[in-house]
Amino acid sequence: VTSQTVFRIGLLRLTDAAPLIAARELGYFAAENIEVSLAVEPSWANIADKLSWGLLDGAMMLPPLALALQLGLSGSGGPEAIVVPAALSLNGNTVTLAERWAAPVLAGGAVPALAGARRFATAIRDRGEKPVLGIVHTFSTHNLLLRYWLATAGIDPDRDAIFTVVPPAETVDALASGKIDGFCAGAPWGEVAVRAGIGRTVATSHAIWNHGVEKVFAVRRAIAEEEPRRLQAVLRAVLKAAAYCDDPGNAVAVAGILAQDGYLRLPAQTILTSLPGATARNEGCGDADVSVFFANAANFPWRSQARWFLGQMRRWGYLGERADLVAAAAIFRPDLYALAAGSLGLSVPTSPVKSEGSHSADWLLPAASTSIPMGPDSFMDGVHFDSC
Amino acid sequence: LLGNLEVLLADSDPERVTILERRLAEISDVVTMRVPAGGSLLDAVVALAPDVIIVDMARPDRDALDDLRRVSVDNPRPVVMFVDGDDRAFMEAAIAAGVSSYNVVDTAFPDIKPIVMAAVAIFRKYQKVADDLNKAKATLLERDTINRAKSMLMRQRNIDEPHAYRWLRRRAMNESRRIGDVAAELLASEGGTPK
Repeated sequence: VTSQTVFRIGLLRLTDAAPLIAARELGYFAAENIEVSLAVEPSWANIADKLSWGLLDGAMMLPPLALALQLGLSGSGGPEAIVVPAALSLNGNTVTLAERWAAPVLAGGAVPALAGARRFATAIRDRGEKPVLGIVHTFSTHNLLLRYWLATAGIDPDRDAIFTVVPPAETVDALASGKIDGFCAGAPWGEVAVRAGIGRTVATSHAIWNHGVEKVFAVRRAIAEEEPRRLQAVLRAVLKAAAYCDDPGNAVAVAGILAQDGYLRLPAQTILTSLPGATARNEGCGDADVSVFFANAANFPWRSQARWFLGQMRRWGYLGERADLVAAAAIFRPDLYALAAGSLGLSVPTSPVKSEGSHSADWLLPAASTSIPMGPDSFMDGVHFDSC
Repeated sequence: LLGNLEVLLADSDPERVTILERRLAEISDVVTMRVPAGGSLLDAVVALAPDVIIVDMARPDRDALDDLRRVSVDNPRPVVMFVDGDDRAFMEAAIAAGVSSYNVVDTAFPDIKPIVMAAVAIFRKYQKVADDLNKAKATLLERDTINRAKSMLMRQRNIDEPHAYRWLRRRAMNESRRIGDVAAELLASEGGTPK
């Protein structure tokens, strides 16, 4: 069934929009006979509202925001529910601080995440000052990972620091003007700040949680239910584009596509630093953390990861007592991913959950038909999260 | 509700916000306030504690409002989005027009709808002007593309202008496409860039 209407996808100016942008620009959507419009939105709130009122069919999304929408904690309560049939990227965020705060953290050179956070804790205590930290959204991976980094070193994020919401594209200016002392944001904004000499990256999301999921692809549930074949066509195109974007040999081409005025509107060289194959990045903290788009079963929407985010949201008091966590986690739909991946001949993980944090080295994920090579999934404090 | 309804306008378009203020002044008991130019939406909401916030959806700092929606010690008056669940068409029109509104919990509902409706009407009118302008620009661009494709055909095939145009039109009809698209493709395939 080929629908006559355009499939409308929303995204933000971020490196990890790459699979969606590439799927359109390289003709993967067209090859599936799907006409797609890509709209660059100024805020996550726009994406949430447009999805829930049916003005977008799909969008790049923050996993905690997708869960918050389902729980009615965000968005404008529109009639459309969403599901998450695929993830778009792993890793990619940086904790970037102004020189005044980065100096004590990086005093002896690159540090592991835990040691860096402890030095930051010491600096906060010594100075008797609350650093102002920018995050891109309350219900963002950035907020939850930054809080994790701080809390692991004994910093109470609500008492010892001040959190403020800053749009990703404004983080660098806010740091330069002294409005904030640091931020956690997606690529390439940390790199933009470093290159401008405004800040230094002291930790990466990869160092806080190895290969943690970063962005997901959310679609209106009505599409999954009423136009399943159309959704499958869209997913196949996105998965093919994700594989393309993950190949370091394509990084220059991908950076060129993303750099265009209609998308990120940034120098291709800057974007290149957050794409697979890049090395000269985050030298301060010694972690060349780049976005992963396909390897590592990156596009599988793990229910265990949805539960980890819900656990972190509860930890910081974002969830009411009556929040239905089972229903929230159920918006992650590995079954929809499996159909698309299977039809492309890709191996599909055999379980919708995995033990998060228990793999500190490379390992093999059981999958049909062949196991998938995986990188570590450790948390900076060595915690294991078993959701089943 | 005692006293006037205080409405904060977060609209970076100086002309539109002036019209909006004037229109809302016609609705009784409304006091409008603006987010200062270059100022943050969050700071203005915290400082002015309005009853209603009307936000231009093009503002990226709208994301900060989700933080204000959580009840906390620092924030005993949570902000919620104006929702008229029975009127889906109205909400869609508002979002399509690029305007979003929030009200503070416990603000009397009937007082708000006329304000939001007025804002949506004004944003829609502006949207239409912007759309018309874009359409006009696109038409000019297409005309330029067709002209350049015609010149190229005339040069390459040594034909006159009516013949070149007929060639483009025939191809467009055969392929069920628009002449502008055929012209752009022709220029691209010949190494010219369809601007």
